[in-house]
Amino acid sequence: MSAAGIKQHLADWRNWELNPIVIKELRQAVRSWAVVAMLVLFLVVLFLTSLWFLVTQSFTVDADIQLGGSMFSAFIVILAMASVFFIPLYVGVRVAMERQENNPDLLYVSTLSPARIIRGKFFCGAYMALLFFSACMPFMAFTNLLRGVDLPTVFLILAFLYLVVCAANMVAIFLACLPVSRPFKFLFVIYGIFQSFGIIASLVGISFNMMRSGMGAMMTGRDFWVNVAMFLALGLAGTGLFYVLAVALVAPPSANRALPVRIYVTAIWVLGGLASFSWTLQSGSPDRLLPWLFVTFVVMLAALLVTISNADELSLRVRRTIPQSFIRRAVAFLFYNGAAGGLLWIAGILAVTYFAVLAGRSLGTKFDFDENWYWFGPTVCYAFAYALLGLLVHRKFLSRRAPKVAGLLAVLLAGGWAVVPSVVLFFLNRLTWTSVQQMQPGNIFNIFTLRDNELRLEHLYCSVVLLGLLLVLNFRWFARQVQAFRPPGPTPKPGPVAPAVPPPIPQ
Amino acid sequence: MKVQVRQLRKEFGKTVAVDNISFSFDSGHVFGFVGPNGAGKTTTMRIISTIEEPTSGDVLLNGVSVCEEPELARRVVGYVPDTLPAHADITVHEYLDFYARAYGLRGRKRTQAIEAIEEFTNVTGIREKHLKALSKGMKQRVSLGRALVYDPDVLVLDEPAAGLDPRARVELRELLALLAERRKAILISSHILTELTEICNGVVIIERGKILETGTIEDVLKKSTPRRTLAVRLLEPQNAALMRELLQLPFVEAVREAASEVLFEMSGDEAAAGDILTALMAKKFRVIEFRQTRANLEDIFMNVTKGGVQ
Repeated sequence: MSAAGIKQHLADWRNWELNPIVIKELRQAVRSWAVVAMLVLFLVVLFLTSLWFLVTQSFTVDADIQLGGSMFSAFIVILAMASVFFIPLYVGVRVAMERQENNPDLLYVSTLSPARIIRGKFFCGAYMALLFFSACMPFMAFTNLLRGVDLPTVFLILAFLYLVVCAANMVAIFLACLPVSRPFKFLFVIYGIFQSFGIIASLVGISFNMMRSGMGAMMTGRDFWVNVAMFLALGLAGTGLFYVLAVALVAPPSANRALPVRIYVTAIWVLGGLASFSWTLQSGSPDRLLPWLFVTFVVMLAALLVTISNADELSLRVRRTIPQSFIRRAVAFLFYNGAAGGLLWIAGILAVTYFAVLAGRSLGTKFDFDENWYWFGPTVCYAFAYALLGLLVHRKFLSRRAPKVAGLLAVLLAGGWAVVPSVVLFFLNRLTWTSVQQMQPGNIFNIFTLRDNELRLEHLYCSVVLLGLLLVLNFRWFARQVQAFRPPGPTPKPGPVAPAVPPPIPQ
Repeated sequence: MKVQVRQLRKEFGKTVAVDNISFSFDSGHVFGFVGPNGAGKTTTMRIISTIEEPTSGDVLLNGVSVCEEPELARRVVGYVPDTLPAHADITVHEYLDFYARAYGLRGRKRTQAIEAIEEFTNVTGIREKHLKALSKGMKQRVSLGRALVYDPDVLVLDEPAAGLDPRARVELRELLALLAERRKAILISSHILTELTEICNGVVIIERGKILETGTIEDVLKKSTPRRTLAVRLLEPQNAALMRELLQLPFVEAVREAASEVLFEMSGDEAAAGDILTALMAKKFRVIEFRQTRANLEDIFMNVTKGGVQ
């Protein structure tokens, strides 16, 4: 939206309306037997738990003088079970059902923008979570009267849990939007259920720690608020990433789906880098840069798979937005749809990250980065080499297949080459842990099983040679992509299709 | 509003569902889309409605490409699918209200649009009923209402008459006639071909993804049935003599008896038919009925299609 558009939108605040998806979803949620049954069950369990604690603890001679704390712990477990498990599952399953591969719900072909649809689904989950948390709140506030927990702790833990539920909702929506068939979606549901148990366990653990440390007393310290800000920033960054990814998945294929995702990831990467450097400067230890390096590494390798699954040809509507000027076009090449630009974008980010971390060594003395060089370099080079190999094989032999096959090929080739030697050794009855630890050129996973840095260095040489070879083999394709990245020229309009029926006489 | 389907092709794996088809129609037209099951009708309609992406080709709605600018195209096209709304937990009014909001209608404008559509599709009496409690005919009306609530210029109706009782079909036909009067461009597929003959200006006959015939109903009838079939009924039953006489007249090519009348095929024009009638009168045959039996879409469909599916 342009600045004038935003101004107009703000001036028109009297006519603001709630997102239609939120209205529809909430109307359906309040009539859904699943939501009502879950809420009633939740309240009954909370009530019975309170009753059990009061009956068994309050009237005994050796009554727990910290009964509030014990009850609160039990409520945390119940709330986490109900909200982390149920709400993301409910929202995710609904989105997945609407986005059936061959028959999506008609709301996806309405004039609602993909961003509004995803926001609507997200806010519906957030409102539902609010409903569950509101139902739990009186029980939790009551525990304060029984001693053992202070009110700030109650509210902070609830806020923490609420944000985690919202983030889990966003992940569920993203998974539901993935263009996969029903069996895969079913697998995602099973995965989600297992994953939510893990999340619940860690949430409960963190909540217990927060409760034991007595948040009320800590709130006056600066470190507390720094940690809160960091948690919020990380949570928002992660949730935002899944949001832009889900929006890109729902957007029409002809749209510039890569642009918002790459802009967002770049912005988060820059902010993360700045935060890491400021942290390093304050603490004087450059190892604070490592989380930024690791997260960038993981996100970029995932982005590599997505990028090579992009189609080479840009749609006309994307080409129409390509800038005329050379510099702006060069920047746009990195951020627009297309595998070639995406590869450059990823390479640029990884290179800048690596050299920034290298430069960051001078900011302190307690850090030896050389150890990381041995895995970072070869892994990145291998990853790019397999990505280019996937593109090459797809282009040469499977060009009629969908572009996403290139990503699949890259994974299969890397995985296949890593697994085949172990399978052969297994059948020769010579598969041992020592054999796995031996140098296997071209095996990306082998880098992490090696113990000898000299062998890792050999991996680096090998990966650089492989990458160089594939760069040469892909050079013409890359040059073609660069050349084709320009706005469309004036094209002659195709001739009209003669109407089968003469136009009706105007009345 | 002009709808132009250009060289549309859609492949599902190795199956070619739609094979380079092109046709166009305008505002005020009801265009029939006819073909056996698996001919590619639904796929074409889903592409026009931006639900599917074509493998190649395009559809232009007043010059707006459904492939390149689906968001703009969606503003002008209303789609009634062959599957009816199945939301179990939403009322008719809420369903229409949601789609009115989804298409950007606000405040009073939205309320008025919904009321008008509920009245037009005759669902005012059931607006508080849940969708799951509706009959098929009522669901069909709601589906049509959903497609009309934002007043699109193009309507794409996939088998709207399937499963409707005779009264509902007549009412649907009347609704479509009204919509055509309101200058909507309507593409409708149906297996009830006799009905299409009555409401359509033009027709596309498609089989195995390819167009077999396209044009105005009259043109297609003429093209597919080059010889006229006329029926003669006499006051007294003299069919044998009549058949002998007819066979001697010019232009008459085949004669057969059907119940109380005699049917004959002729190759000439209407003047030739007039001459035949004059000749029969001259021979003192007491003709009480002399008419051309009108071939309908069903006849054409049976003539031009082979019943092949993919």
